[in-house]
Amino acid sequence: MKRWRLFLVLFLATLLIPLGAAAQKDTLVVALVSHAPTIDPHFHFERVGILVNINMFDSLLHKNKRLEYEPSLATSWKALNDTTWEFKLRKGVKFHNGEVMTAEDVKFSFDRVLDPAKKSPQYGNIRAIKEVRIVDPETIHLITDRPFPLLLERMVFFPIVPKKHVEKVGDQVFGISQPVGTGPWKFVEWKRDQHIKLEAFDGHWRGRPAFKHLIIRAVPEVSTQVAELKTGGVDLIRNVSSDLVPDLKAHPQTYVSTAPILRTHYIEFDMRHPPFDKKLVRQAANYAVDKQTIIQKLMAGLGRQVATTVHPAAFGHDPSVTPYPYDPKKARELLAQAGYPNGVDVTIHSAFVEFRPVFEAICQMLTEVGIRATPKPWDPGPAYNKFLQGEGKATHGYYGSWGYYSVFDADAILHPLYHTEPGGWIGKWYTRIEGLDGMIDEARSTVDQAKRKRIYAQIQRYIKEEAPNIFLFHQFDTLGVSKKVEYEARGDEWLWLFDAKPKR
Amino acid sequence: MTTLLLRRAIRVLVVCVGVSLITFGILQLSGDPVALMMPEAPEADRAKLREAMGFNDPVALQFVRFVGNSIRGEFGKSFYYRAPALDLVLERMPTTLTLTVLALGLAVLVSIPAGIYSAVYRYSLLDQIVTVVVFLGQSMPVFWTGIMLMLLFAVQWRLLPVSGWEGWQFMILPAVTLGTFQAPLLLRIVRSSMLEVLGLDYVRTARSKGVSEWIVICRHALVNAALPVVTVTGLQFGILLGGAVITETVFAVPGVGRLIVRAILQLDFPVVQAGVFLLAMIVVTVNFVVDVLYAYLNPQIRVR
Repeated sequence: MKRWRLFLVLFLATLLIPLGAAAQKDTLVVALVSHAPTIDPHFHFERVGILVNINMFDSLLHKNKRLEYEPSLATSWKALNDTTWEFKLRKGVKFHNGEVMTAEDVKFSFDRVLDPAKKSPQYGNIRAIKEVRIVDPETIHLITDRPFPLLLERMVFFPIVPKKHVEKVGDQVFGISQPVGTGPWKFVEWKRDQHIKLEAFDGHWRGRPAFKHLIIRAVPEVSTQVAELKTGGVDLIRNVSSDLVPDLKAHPQTYVSTAPILRTHYIEFDMRHPPFDKKLVRQAANYAVDKQTIIQKLMAGLGRQVATTVHPAAFGHDPSVTPYPYDPKKARELLAQAGYPNGVDVTIHSAFVEFRPVFEAICQMLTEVGIRATPKPWDPGPAYNKFLQGEGKATHGYYGSWGYYSVFDADAILHPLYHTEPGGWIGKWYTRIEGLDGMIDEARSTVDQAKRKRIYAQIQRYIKEEAPNIFLFHQFDTLGVSKKVEYEARGDEWLWLFDAKPKR
Repeated sequence: MTTLLLRRAIRVLVVCVGVSLITFGILQLSGDPVALMMPEAPEADRAKLREAMGFNDPVALQFVRFVGNSIRGEFGKSFYYRAPALDLVLERMPTTLTLTVLALGLAVLVSIPAGIYSAVYRYSLLDQIVTVVVFLGQSMPVFWTGIMLMLLFAVQWRLLPVSGWEGWQFMILPAVTLGTFQAPLLLRIVRSSMLEVLGLDYVRTARSKGVSEWIVICRHALVNAALPVVTVTGLQFGILLGGAVITETVFAVPGVGRLIVRAILQLDFPVVQAGVFLLAMIVVTVNFVVDVLYAYLNPQIRVR
């Protein structure tokens, strides 16, 4: 019996050896739910891919922790007129293969996305750019076909790739096995659905990142990610759901870092049909929902109430517009005034799987003031058909959220949610507000930021009054981080790992 | 023997058509892939993509096109990866097969000796324990077993890595998880068929001839008890592949199951179709081999 036990101990010891060797201080391991289909930064548009790309490629601009523009591959920039932007390029920037970055590479990068034949999913982001003109080796002009106020926002993630190298190896090989950029880490290996291995680039213009090795693993299950984090298998995980936050806060080897993000929640009303064709009913619904309680009890405090759908961090936000308070009495009064003294029955739809409890709580709160709401949950696939096509059939409303596509500008939510032009997003089905289209268009047609700000302030007061939604709250990004690593969550949900440092 | 093979081969074909009809039909019902591909894009862009991908054609035409292509092994390009779907599936197949075969091996290795022991020492304490374990093993869903094993062996005791597929020690937990799913049923079959055979006349005859108990069990009884065991093992192979889908997701194993789960969520038709089709083919092939093996083991079938 004794000998058997000795054998068992020896056997288990052999298992431990390779594990111990894996944990090195100069290696940072990040877990994402999946990998993007390619490492080529121009041929996907997915968060999991962008997070890898930004650590390998630089764009013209960068945003610091406070989300202010910072020079990156461009050292300065300015609008020459409504449709021409000038960028001065940084001198002597090296690609991972040793070549020096030039204006040719910048032009090439734009052209490959703007070429419709290449079908880049990022085409829509920058299609307003009509021409990329090389003025001299250090200066380029971007010429847009109309005033394009979002241009600088788009330049924060627009990676520059090396022309010669891409032309030599071809798009396919570039994206799978030979990606080359100017960023802090260079490519080593990609095993699909397993890991992407990167190594610090000695010639990076900012200097060397703190971690020599960067490994991005693909781990689909959140509970598995948490187990990895607790045991030191990975150092950083994203999207820790609110029920897991206390657990990671209490664990001796991990901490949680949070930051407010753009994703904003709302209930979109179908304003074509009763009862939400009536302004008073829409306002009543806004008074009926106790947002603070939902944030505290169902979201572990990781949310902040918003006054309208315009996020506090977005350009154009007006802090003087205040949120609807929780006032069920007032809600009942307004409902009676609107002609529903005995209440009214409605159906609210949602395909927002992770926020099911919040959805049900909102419907319950509406029911308590007399807007008797039946929650109807959907799977995302069929829901898209139902809500967004045909005639937009989410009568009488639906619970959803909008992530602004990471653009910090009021336009990024106002246009898709409320503009009724054909070809638009959901506004065309659900929103009916006199004159709002014109205001959104007007703010879009100038790069005069002061004027845009004035129009957006006006819009926010207007939509608060008209209440095309129940304005709810915005979310927080929640990172689970190993105590061996120092890193803070960012408001743009980026993992800018150049800022990550080993903790002593 | 030839008619038997022929009959089985026809059955394989029927299954093929059935499988493709079902995968195609379910995906047709599950929504618009274009909306999922570009959820926040303008409708005009989506309409263009829908047209380009042939989703506006009549469903019957789409199905005929699908069957025609899949016979030639062409499942089209993945919407998501922009690469041939078949290649994506084949690339991950070795991992899934490794996991499945390891789990199967483990299950056989555990359940045959334990089953024999249970049958020979029927109603002994150990037999009772085995019965309880079988009961538990069958009632635990795979994902739960997986997470529990992970919490115990990887998080609590730190004996094994949590997830990934980087070396042999990474294979232990997924294989055990999947094996736990399969072993109980196998064990029960071994036990009951051994019990049946042990009571037969020829065993008694062997014993009365003075043949040692060991040889009676292994040579006389086990060979005859093996028939149902082989059948069930073959049938279970398909269920194992199904279990691999979940196990791969829990343990971040880069296999076909995980690929298919993701493809389903993204309505990436070509990958789902290629994946399900290939897995179905493997199950059908294994069952075919089992049928043949069965005929070899049991002369009565060959004659019929």
